[in-house]
Amino acid sequence: MFEKIKLENLPKENILTFGEFYKGKLHNSSLEILSPLKNIAKSLNKKLILVCLIDSFKNIKNLKEIKKSLADEVWFVINSELKDFKDDLYTEVLTQIIKSSQPYGFFFPATKIGMSLAPRIAGALKVGLCAHVNYLEVKDNQIVMSRPTYGENIIAKLVSKSSPVMATISLGVFNIKYGKEEPLMKEIIFPENFSWSSKLKIRNFIPSKKKPTKLSTAKIVVSGGRGLKNKETFQKLFELAEILGAEVGATRPVCYEGWVEEERMIGVSGVTVKPKVYIGFGISGALQHTVGMENSEFIVAINIDKEAPLVKMANLALIGDARKILELLLKRLKS
Amino acid sequence: MEKIIVCIKGVPKPGSIKVDPETHTLKRESMELILNPNDRPALELSARLKETYDAEVIVISMGPPNVVPLLKYAYASGADQMILLSDRAFAGSDTLATSYVLAKAIKKLSPFSLVLMGLKSIDGETAQVPPETAALLGIPSLTNVKNILKEKNKWIVIRENEYGEEEVEVEAPLIVSVSPVAFDYIRPPSLKRLIEVKNKEPLIWTASDLNLDPQKLGLSGSPTQVVEVYERKIEMKGNILEGEPQELVEKLIEVLKEKTLIKH
Repeated sequence: MFEKIKLENLPKENILTFGEFYKGKLHNSSLEILSPLKNIAKSLNKKLILVCLIDSFKNIKNLKEIKKSLADEVWFVINSELKDFKDDLYTEVLTQIIKSSQPYGFFFPATKIGMSLAPRIAGALKVGLCAHVNYLEVKDNQIVMSRPTYGENIIAKLVSKSSPVMATISLGVFNIKYGKEEPLMKEIIFPENFSWSSKLKIRNFIPSKKKPTKLSTAKIVVSGGRGLKNKETFQKLFELAEILGAEVGATRPVCYEGWVEEERMIGVSGVTVKPKVYIGFGISGALQHTVGMENSEFIVAINIDKEAPLVKMANLALIGDARKILELLLKRLKS
Repeated sequence: MEKIIVCIKGVPKPGSIKVDPETHTLKRESMELILNPNDRPALELSARLKETYDAEVIVISMGPPNVVPLLKYAYASGADQMILLSDRAFAGSDTLATSYVLAKAIKKLSPFSLVLMGLKSIDGETAQVPPETAALLGIPSLTNVKNILKEKNKWIVIRENEYGEEEVEVEAPLIVSVSPVAFDYIRPPSLKRLIEVKNKEPLIWTASDLNLDPQKLGLSGSPTQVVEVYERKIEMKGNILEGEPQELVEKLIEVLKEKTLIKH
């Protein structure tokens, strides 16, 4: 086994990240966010520590991945009450760790669990929290975080005046990288009188029936925006996807219109894609969307507006009515 | 009787956004505001709970006076009372400062059994305010909630995460954020209540009504600060083709072949 360390003896001033487990498996997003944070930790001369709350060490399914990760240390809190994600108990455990180890920063993947947990901790500690950060840098010895802002092609850079610096980091933005040295593993021992109780009782769990979309790892993405005018035309993208072996993506307005489910939203609060070919039908290219697809290898934009940002960004832009072009293309491919 | 509080937000109508060049925050006073679309399912859930259980629904909104029509809309959709949290000192608040104001207002309405909010606003998109407010009040929070039922004196909450749906048992009071896709049908406001609300005005609570600490409000009370905003410059990289749709399709087919996405 590994070193046990008492809660009150935790080393201070490090950069902590949250390791999200589900049924013993560490979620990929917790490995992703180590990539940018490793550089941040290095330039601030701090250790990067992955904090994992689990019910049993034996049940961990991807321990190999954890051992290869970029973290300098992995801290485990092990208690049978941590089996399910309980917002209040997890907050209490992590708040205790923060109070004892006074970290410089604490970061979370922007998963549904991360987005539930991080604000509870920020509220409990009365500190600032940035959401959906997609770029981090160190300036004047301080962490500066970037995120796109609403509606316009404007990126905001934020700092936190409070300590620890806290943020949730967008999913799929960073690639998982592996480290050269195996991280040091430690188990944090909580005091005897710590209460593991929660006001939440998880009575039942129904695993998701929907197959998760393969959008984030798709090699080809066909995506649609408001320029397709209606749900019926948008649905034709699925026919095209079938022929090309592609996944269908969408812009935010289209998801809010109910043309397609939100899981297919590409952008700030949706999925980040990096396909070999991205084809955008009737998408003007608000920053909200383009941050989620700008790293595509080859971008095709089909739009009526020559000045649209996506048209400028594209490797190939076709100026015309996206509806008509989609219909003609389908006809041509089926013949 | 259960007291259910619904928090709603006015968000800028897409296309009407103005950013204050000095503070880098959104200029809410000069914008046309619409009800945050994600708050509709929260209102709908409150109306459904009111139908099923004996409940009073209070709708509150923090914002400039131009959110009053949105409060009236919520009243017409079934709320019993409207409260506007409005003070110049609130401008520029980040999620922590916003949660502080909401927590104080909610506390003033104690005892309450449930607070409903939308999952996230479409402008800030942080989804942070519901859990942050709950943490400040020291009560449980659940996010991405799809339905709520009552069983004896407990709430049974169905919430969604990446892996599936959980059924959670919890005692009142608590704060939940409602999933944007919780309901297939959202009722329109009632005509009768739309007429009735014309002559009603919301109660207004300012910073002093809520005994708020001025240092915890607005920009100065916000630990996260925007230090710089910049426009993303787009490099022109490709070729732009104009012409007859048929020609453009042929060009696209060529590219698809080149990329070996199609064979023929």
